[in-house]
Amino acid sequence: MNVVTSNAPRVRRMTLRRRRQVAGFLFALPAIALVVGFIGVPIGQAVYYSFTQWNGLTSTWIGASTWTQAFHNSNLWTALQNNALLLLAVPFALGLPLVIAVLLHQRVAGWRIFRSIYFLPTAISWVVLGLVAERFFAYQGTLNSIIHALGFSHVNTNMLGYESTALSALGITFVFTMIGTNTMLFLTGLATLDPSLEEAARIDGAGRWRIFRSITLPHLSRFIQLAFVMTVIALFSALFSLIFVMTGGGPGYATTTMEFLIYQTGFNQGDFGTAALYGLILFVLTGIVGVVQLRLIGSNE
Amino acid sequence: MTSLLTPPRASDSPDEPTRPPRATRSKLGRWALFFAMIVIAVIMLYPFWVMIVTSLKSEAQFLAGQGFSWLSWKNLSATIPIGQEVLSSTIVCSASILVILLVGLPAGFAFSKLRFRTSTAVFLVIVSAMMVPLQAILMPEFVNVTKLGLTGGYWGAILVYAALGTPFSVFLFTTYFRGVPDELIEAGIVDGLGYFGALWRLVLPIAVPAIATVTVLQFIQIWDDLLVGLLFIQNTSERPITVGLAVLAAGRTTSIPELMAGSLISALPAMLVYLGFQRYLVKGLTMGIDR
Amino acid sequence: MAEITFDAVTKIFGDDVRAVDELSLHVADGEFMVLVGPSGCGKTTALRMLAGLEDITSGSLSIGGAVVNNVLPKDRDVAMVFQNYALYPHMSVEKNIGFALKIRGDSKSEIKRKVEEAAATLHLTDYLERRPKALSGGQRQRVAMGRAIVRSPRAFLMDEPLSNLDAQLRVEMRLEIARIQRILGVATVYVTHDQVEAMTMGDRVAVLRGGRLQQVDTPQDLYDHPINEFVAGFMGSPPMNLVRCHVRPGNDRVEVDFGDQTVELPWHYTSSHELPASGLDVVVGVRPEDVIITDASSPNTIKTRVERREALGAEILVHLTHLDSNADTASSDPGALRDISRRAPLVAKMGPRVHVAVGDVLSVQISPEHAHFFDATTGVTLRRR
Repeated sequence: MNVVTSNAPRVRRMTLRRRRQVAGFLFALPAIALVVGFIGVPIGQAVYYSFTQWNGLTSTWIGASTWTQAFHNSNLWTALQNNALLLLAVPFALGLPLVIAVLLHQRVAGWRIFRSIYFLPTAISWVVLGLVAERFFAYQGTLNSIIHALGFSHVNTNMLGYESTALSALGITFVFTMIGTNTMLFLTGLATLDPSLEEAARIDGAGRWRIFRSITLPHLSRFIQLAFVMTVIALFSALFSLIFVMTGGGPGYATTTMEFLIYQTGFNQGDFGTAALYGLILFVLTGIVGVVQLRLIGSNE
Repeated sequence: MTSLLTPPRASDSPDEPTRPPRATRSKLGRWALFFAMIVIAVIMLYPFWVMIVTSLKSEAQFLAGQGFSWLSWKNLSATIPIGQEVLSSTIVCSASILVILLVGLPAGFAFSKLRFRTSTAVFLVIVSAMMVPLQAILMPEFVNVTKLGLTGGYWGAILVYAALGTPFSVFLFTTYFRGVPDELIEAGIVDGLGYFGALWRLVLPIAVPAIATVTVLQFIQIWDDLLVGLLFIQNTSERPITVGLAVLAAGRTTSIPELMAGSLISALPAMLVYLGFQRYLVKGLTMGIDR
Repeated sequence: MAEITFDAVTKIFGDDVRAVDELSLHVADGEFMVLVGPSGCGKTTALRMLAGLEDITSGSLSIGGAVVNNVLPKDRDVAMVFQNYALYPHMSVEKNIGFALKIRGDSKSEIKRKVEEAAATLHLTDYLERRPKALSGGQRQRVAMGRAIVRSPRAFLMDEPLSNLDAQLRVEMRLEIARIQRILGVATVYVTHDQVEAMTMGDRVAVLRGGRLQQVDTPQDLYDHPINEFVAGFMGSPPMNLVRCHVRPGNDRVEVDFGDQTVELPWHYTSSHELPASGLDVVVGVRPEDVIITDASSPNTIKTRVERREALGAEILVHLTHLDSNADTASSDPGALRDISRRAPLVAKMGPRVHVAVGDVLSVQISPEHAHFFDATTGVTLRRR
């Protein structure tokens, strides 16, 4: 049992702590490289290119006037306005799942099966859900069938076809797509609620609504916050599939949100510089939500 | 957080508490509740119903609004190269997840157990990258990947997916390993392991539940995604299934029953993964606030 | 197998936290060395430096004559048993025990043979297929032991390996570990805060406090001749009575004042101890078992009253105060006596058949050959060496 010291290579002289740190750094390096190379560097490039005229191959420095031009572009304001209007869907995307989670939490017969069914659409691509939604809202779609079945046979809607209603249809679809995830979050939250709290309140004579408001809802607040952040982020950055399939941003610019505007500006109009600039605006918008999210995570560690 | 950090037990699922069902509700109330549940179930199953029913019509039957046939299913492969596209999706998905795991696991180990000088700051930077939507950096990303010549095959998409999935996996693995006692790694080191040996022979097997969570979440994410596949895979013959469907749908010339048949096929793998590993999905989603 | 030498080993955490301060200690080959001390005394840090889990700030540490300061843990050939056992949760008992051998590259048949041998020694043969989760605390502890002994390492390092067991198992495993160590004859460094473990297990015991080594000795010597008040108070349960007294070395005897009562001790203390001639205060130490009840007519007694009585079954602890209690429990060393000072001035350990009740007035004698004297300011023993 001889110790390896006499013929030890030079590396061995490093202190143990140093060696641990070197190992740690090397282990983290691929992740750092990937994130810096594919996320960090492009952010810097986006800043640079936002001041240029850029078609993807050649770029010419223009300066700050690219920004003033961009803010004079009505398409940007339309997109921002669409994003803002879609925020109105957020209360529904949180409220409906909350109700569903509370119903599931009552544990009626077969609740596990119901739970799986409610979550199932979560697995499906928003491309597919967009296709289905298009069928729902179409002229010969399910929505009109329902309206006719209710007796309004002369009413025919085509929500995706009109500027005034297309965004609402998109919002409704969005709410549907978020139900599974948010219900799952809330149900997990409810499961961590200590049942003896509710029982104690019931013994104290509190009614069902009272218990929900004073015990259940405060307990869920962390989960509601998380769901809120996730929902808003999805709203800003995950609608692309739905829009691409359902409306292509139209009619006109009625359903063009920021993320879709970036895609259109870059890939349909070939104006990479302006698209990069729009990207930065989206980056700032989600950054604000992201800070909230980080503080949420931070406050729990 | 602990629920994920302890080795999984049969009763450990956070969504299945031991509480007995409530017995205090009136019979009428229970039926009303049950009815409400059924109504919601019908709404949530609506997409599947549409896909199934529509795909079982020929285009003519669909336009006429009546009749059923297998015609759309029979013609499907002529319209959509479904086999090729499912294969592409599978390749991109598996390779991306593999990269995410290979990169995230050692990084999580490093940030939790082998901390180096700036590791906390680096960790925070990587985790905050979770908040950067691809659209925000889409243009430079696209140009970079194109210039590197990676949009020709699968590699461009794989690397972009991997980069987008890495921050979350680093966060999840780091949090997970923080719950693993330091002594476990130290025991291995005293037993004769180097750091790489500890990673491979101790950390990896202990991390199986976290690996499952990352895999399931990323599988659904990547399988269902459109944007990356659309832009970073240039050859139409290498298109993933979601891209194939979306492009045909956006073109508005394809028979809708056939599109629905394709949709159904595309939805199947993610649904199966989903139903099989629901537990890991819930854990991953609530990571960070579930304690 | 190998000897272990700490030579002025120091560990500084951050900028100024001296966890281990100039520790010099030699562990002979085959010796069972116990490091004992209160929490935060640096004993675990010393052990971790020995294992290679912690860097050495200064000084040198050698195993088998070779300096190992910067040698990787895996190249030190030492085995460690952790307080929480640190069993690999994803491996069976068999795999856990054989893991180090597998890493080392032993052949499968050899691993199997060695693991079975170790398992037999530790009565684990029936549990080899189980996962750690399915084992009791005592069994897990045995697996942790098995993982160490199977390697036949140059040294065993044990970090409070029994502290997670219940009292009865602890006694059992105490004997078991000592037995196995004796059979294997491997140098062992055993860290504990429990002075009973230190006394019963160690060939020698090193008492640490605040990162500094206080005393290294055989358990009995440590008990009989503590080098300072801290060691005196730490070793032994209940701890030694330490009373600040006026001491007057005379011609044929030594007079000790407990308050205004005087006790005479044999004259030889003046030669064996450096007692201050002028009659200054010193701290007199008396083990509870050396406080003896006699009848009032005997000479050299102190009159006391019983304040509290703790019956432990095999013995009774009696807390006594002097009747004219002007004498203070005192010490130069507030840390060592923080607990003692709250107690009555004297604690006596008595046989279970002695009938005493709270409020009784007792005459007690100090066993004349077993008094200790410590400097009242430094706390160091006055015994000559």
